[in-house]
Amino acid sequence: MSGATQRLAVMAAVLVAIATGFHLLTGSFLTAENLSNLVQQTAVVGIVASGMALVIVARQIDLAVGSLLGAVGVLMAWLQYTHGWGVPAALAAGLAFALVIGLCQGALSAVVGLPSFVVTLGGLVSLRGVAFLIADGKTQPISDPGLLALGGGMDGTLGEGWSWVAGLVLVAVCVGWQAAQRQAQRHAGLAPRSLAREALQASLTALGVLGAVAVFNAYRIEGQEQGQGLPLPLLVWGAVVLALSFVARHTRFGRYVYAIGGNPDAARLAGIPVRRVLIQLNLLLAALVALAAVVAMARLNAGTNSMGTGMELTVIAAAVIGGVSLAGGSGSVAGTVLGALIIQSIDSGLLLTDVGIGWRMVVLGQVLVAAVVFDRVVQR
Amino acid sequence: MSATSLLEVRDARKSFGGVHAVDGVSLSLAPGEVLAVLGHNGAGKSTLMQMLAGALPFDGGELWLNGRPVTFASPAASRAAGIETIHQKLALADNLDAVANLFLGRELRTRFGLLDDAAMRAAAVPLFARLNPNFRNLGDPVASLSGGQRQVVAIARALQFQARVLIMDEPCAALGPSETALVHDLIRRLRAEGVGILLVTHDMPDVFALSDRLMVMKNGRLVGVTQTAAVTEDEVLAMIIAGKAPATLG
Repeated sequence: MSGATQRLAVMAAVLVAIATGFHLLTGSFLTAENLSNLVQQTAVVGIVASGMALVIVARQIDLAVGSLLGAVGVLMAWLQYTHGWGVPAALAAGLAFALVIGLCQGALSAVVGLPSFVVTLGGLVSLRGVAFLIADGKTQPISDPGLLALGGGMDGTLGEGWSWVAGLVLVAVCVGWQAAQRQAQRHAGLAPRSLAREALQASLTALGVLGAVAVFNAYRIEGQEQGQGLPLPLLVWGAVVLALSFVARHTRFGRYVYAIGGNPDAARLAGIPVRRVLIQLNLLLAALVALAAVVAMARLNAGTNSMGTGMELTVIAAAVIGGVSLAGGSGSVAGTVLGALIIQSIDSGLLLTDVGIGWRMVVLGQVLVAAVVFDRVVQR
Repeated sequence: MSATSLLEVRDARKSFGGVHAVDGVSLSLAPGEVLAVLGHNGAGKSTLMQMLAGALPFDGGELWLNGRPVTFASPAASRAAGIETIHQKLALADNLDAVANLFLGRELRTRFGLLDDAAMRAAAVPLFARLNPNFRNLGDPVASLSGGQRQVVAIARALQFQARVLIMDEPCAALGPSETALVHDLIRRLRAEGVGILLVTHDMPDVFALSDRLMVMKNGRLVGVTQTAAVTEDEVLAMIIAGKAPATLG
């Protein structure tokens, strides 16, 4: 196993230990209902964290994501509620707004050379103000059923049958990709991995994906004929993670992001268009924030000027706990899934065990510190 | 210019503020020749090399490559023209493996536009085996490699992309004796393959073991150029320190 895979395995073990511990304490943590709620609560942070991972890998930071999510969320809800726009137009406007902000912040740090910390700290404050200004601080309810379904809940799931279909499609894509990689290796004259290892990887994929489907299908709300199945926020989050992992690992853009994080001077001397890559990275994160704003708005049934408050720190914490180094150059998108789930599990678990908000915050902060201490110790 | 010249610099000039970092320097390099570039710190060697590598623009003078005048807008343009530069602080991305570094900025891609890892690895395996049979950890981040192996990765770039001119800045600084021997061997091999090499160094053993000719700079100006075999170490040191060509050089 490579170091990165080991790190992921350790975090997965930590997550299982936390979940098991809370289950022993509460008797209700590892139930289908609680797990379904847990992933829906985590999805918004998870979507943004997967993009934040790449931003931090490239030695940048974005403190404005929470405020941008608020501004975009209010804008999309306000255009629908106060101005009667249709859903597609309102969402497109929100995305366009986010991309313009991403472009401006990216240009200020990549082209003008300001530290991204400062640029986005300004954004953190100003965009929260924008979120207030758009609708004059008033909550903007939304009512489109299709849009509300994206927030999960009772009507926001795939249902049993489609969940199995989605699971099987995902397994087929993963195994197909494995086969294609193997074919490419043989074509290039390299010795492919043993069939036993390939089979092990394929079975683990199938077990994980179909196991998850089984769990979510086991959650049945009283009065419903069948299980809930995969919540839509989880589907959105999962698609984002898969797409970004693929981009990070298999595209030139992803390779450049890691090269810039490893050694910016080397990247420049190797002819990598560093500024362009950094601006593209900002645009990518802005688009993910807009997507997360849609999910957050659908979960709240409204756009409010306070949505996403403080989220930037949870997102950064999820990335760091998931193994992204703030020094840049290392970490993975997949790790942020574990990081985000660990934070949410501790938060929900402590809530279920009647621990007050004060102690919850104390514990969550120290978990972040412990994760960084762990990385330091392992690096030595 | 002579018919055999691979690279020729005529009257190159570069100033920063009022300081003439490179002040009217000319040089020529033949295929399969190692030209050592000597001088104190601040003599203008690194500035001149950065100009050739496309990292700094010329303020004046000309650069000729294979009998044609060229100008480079970027390091990528210099590399595309066949000038490969190995910087003193090895321009490697420490978090990436040897294969990724070998192809950094020039990745092979599949017809779908994705990274062609299999093809890159297949090209890298025999190349590294040829350079150093002990080099097996192609998949490890280069941060975990020894100084000599990191130097091998940097040199491998020149071979993979068939560089015609190689600029090396202190290639043996901070290397142990056996690794220095390995790098010397690689430089000789590149020379035998017809690559012209500009070797920037402070190290006299490197100069006398490797170079065909040497040039000395001081305060941005060229002190002199000579066949390495025609001078002694003391004479070279005198050129560097006093900034005067010995009388024996016409």
